[in-house]
Amino acid sequence: MAITTQRRKERIDRGINVRTEGIYALMSIKELSYLAAPRLVLIVGLLILPLLLPDMYWKRVITITCIYAFLALSFDFLAHFVGLVSLGGAFFVGIGGYLAAIANTYWGFPPWLTIPFAALVGGAVCTLLLFPCLPLRGVYFAIVSLMYPLFSARVIEALDIFGGTDGIMGIDGFSNHFVEEYAPLGLLLIALFAIRRLVTTDFGLVLRGVKDNDQAIRASGMNVTFYKSVAVYIASTMGCLSGAILVHIYMWSGISLFALDFSILPIAATVIGGSGTLIGPVLGCFILVPISELLRDFGTLRIVFYALILVGFIIFRSEGLMVWGQRKYHQFERWTQI
Amino acid sequence: MLEAKGLMVFYENMLALNNVSIKCADNQIVGIFGANSAGKSTLMYTLAGIILDMQKKEAMAGGERITMMGEIRYQGEEISHLKPSLRARKGIILCPERRRIFKESSVIENLRIGGYLASAPQAKKTLAYVFELFPTLKHLQKRIGGFLSGGEQQMLAIGRALMAQPKILLLDEPLLGLSPLMQSNLIHATREICNKMQIAIIVTEQYARPVMPIVDYAFILENGSAVLEGTRQELMDNPDVRSAYFGIEES
Repeated sequence: MAITTQRRKERIDRGINVRTEGIYALMSIKELSYLAAPRLVLIVGLLILPLLLPDMYWKRVITITCIYAFLALSFDFLAHFVGLVSLGGAFFVGIGGYLAAIANTYWGFPPWLTIPFAALVGGAVCTLLLFPCLPLRGVYFAIVSLMYPLFSARVIEALDIFGGTDGIMGIDGFSNHFVEEYAPLGLLLIALFAIRRLVTTDFGLVLRGVKDNDQAIRASGMNVTFYKSVAVYIASTMGCLSGAILVHIYMWSGISLFALDFSILPIAATVIGGSGTLIGPVLGCFILVPISELLRDFGTLRIVFYALILVGFIIFRSEGLMVWGQRKYHQFERWTQI
Repeated sequence: MLEAKGLMVFYENMLALNNVSIKCADNQIVGIFGANSAGKSTLMYTLAGIILDMQKKEAMAGGERITMMGEIRYQGEEISHLKPSLRARKGIILCPERRRIFKESSVIENLRIGGYLASAPQAKKTLAYVFELFPTLKHLQKRIGGFLSGGEQQMLAIGRALMAQPKILLLDEPLLGLSPLMQSNLIHATREICNKMQIAIIVTEQYARPVMPIVDYAFILENGSAVLEGTRQELMDNPDVRSAYFGIEES
């Protein structure tokens, strides 16, 4: 190989990233829009989505997508920032859903009260039940969180409590369609930006430290189990919130809330969207859930398409859409002579 | 035997190796000396091919882009695009920095994993030789790797590398974190391996003093460039080397 003709591609940060780290010195409208555009596209895009879809069916699909997006967000937060692989999305949905159903039908709470109630109390219940495996490292959390939804569904079935296999019926719906469409979207955006902020605070730094090296965190005088349980509480609160919303949309709560779909689809969405970006998994849900609806005509064959999409992503773009997209947006490439 | 010409390695835009050329003849010990961040480990990874593996993993995770240039010739054959496993089959064996032994396997299991590619009689012969070289390991055969002391782990790492039947052995910082006594034991063992097994050895180290007595030829790396090279005597006579690497001030 002759050395004279060699060249390589280098990646250069765009000007505004280089000048300051974190605190941006904004000099022009162009720079302002460079920073604000991606966020605005997301917010405005999500908010006008229900308006663009005249069909009631597709509006409902968007709402269900939001439910999955909450779960994907909570999965990504736990997996990438705390190092806990949660397979318990269905558990969070189930607990939140049943709590909201019970509060609404047995105690007569209105929906605007049952949803926060189910989220906050459900988060506490989930954290308490998952607590025993938090001091441990390794696969225990994943296994236990996978077992709980199966276990809960069988308990409700066997003991015939909370309506047994029939479920709880006669739950109040949302007062109007506008609320039904925009409450999940609005809450999703709030949760997304809140978690993004959270992981950059000091508390978030400790959480990431727990993932990297929990012994070093312990040696710095911090209680690893405490930090893990707070993180699990935050993640399970989001999961329970989505479960509570789902119950009020369907006006019914049953053991299908503990279905494995709620655990698996968010993970697939995280693979497609790019783990660790938080927005990636949300975007992944907005791709996967509608595709899954479009393929409904194919019956069980849609699992095949689904699997093909996933495998394709893992082979050709294993970093995920958003990791790729963010790099393209923040850096440019050029050839340099060596 | 092994010759690298104009090696350049970029970690994204950072230059880790800048036009480094080294060579190692048959049955010779070559030392590579340099401070932290001089590029010693990168050079070893490049020679062993591990860097191709790192490059692939980073690309899949969307991380840093690793760029490599230059040529590596081994027994007259260009190998710079050969996978690490194929290079190991050809006899280029890396004994990595910080030992990286299999922590949950016992000593004997570690050695057997190392000898996976060797034929049964070869493995048996080498195993006997490793135990002769490091008698301590013989008594610790059943001990789990993670519970060995630092020195024992280093012996195990070298033993494991020998089991793979190297023709050229790459020792990356074998003396890291060892006591002076253990250092001198290991260095003598290294010379003995070279003489007995008739193989070439490349050894990197931060401190030249303990390793210098056994090397035939040495290179000094600074900030990714090979700034100096020579036989042991040439380097020992060089006033810059004497002051920078041996702390001997000229009067």
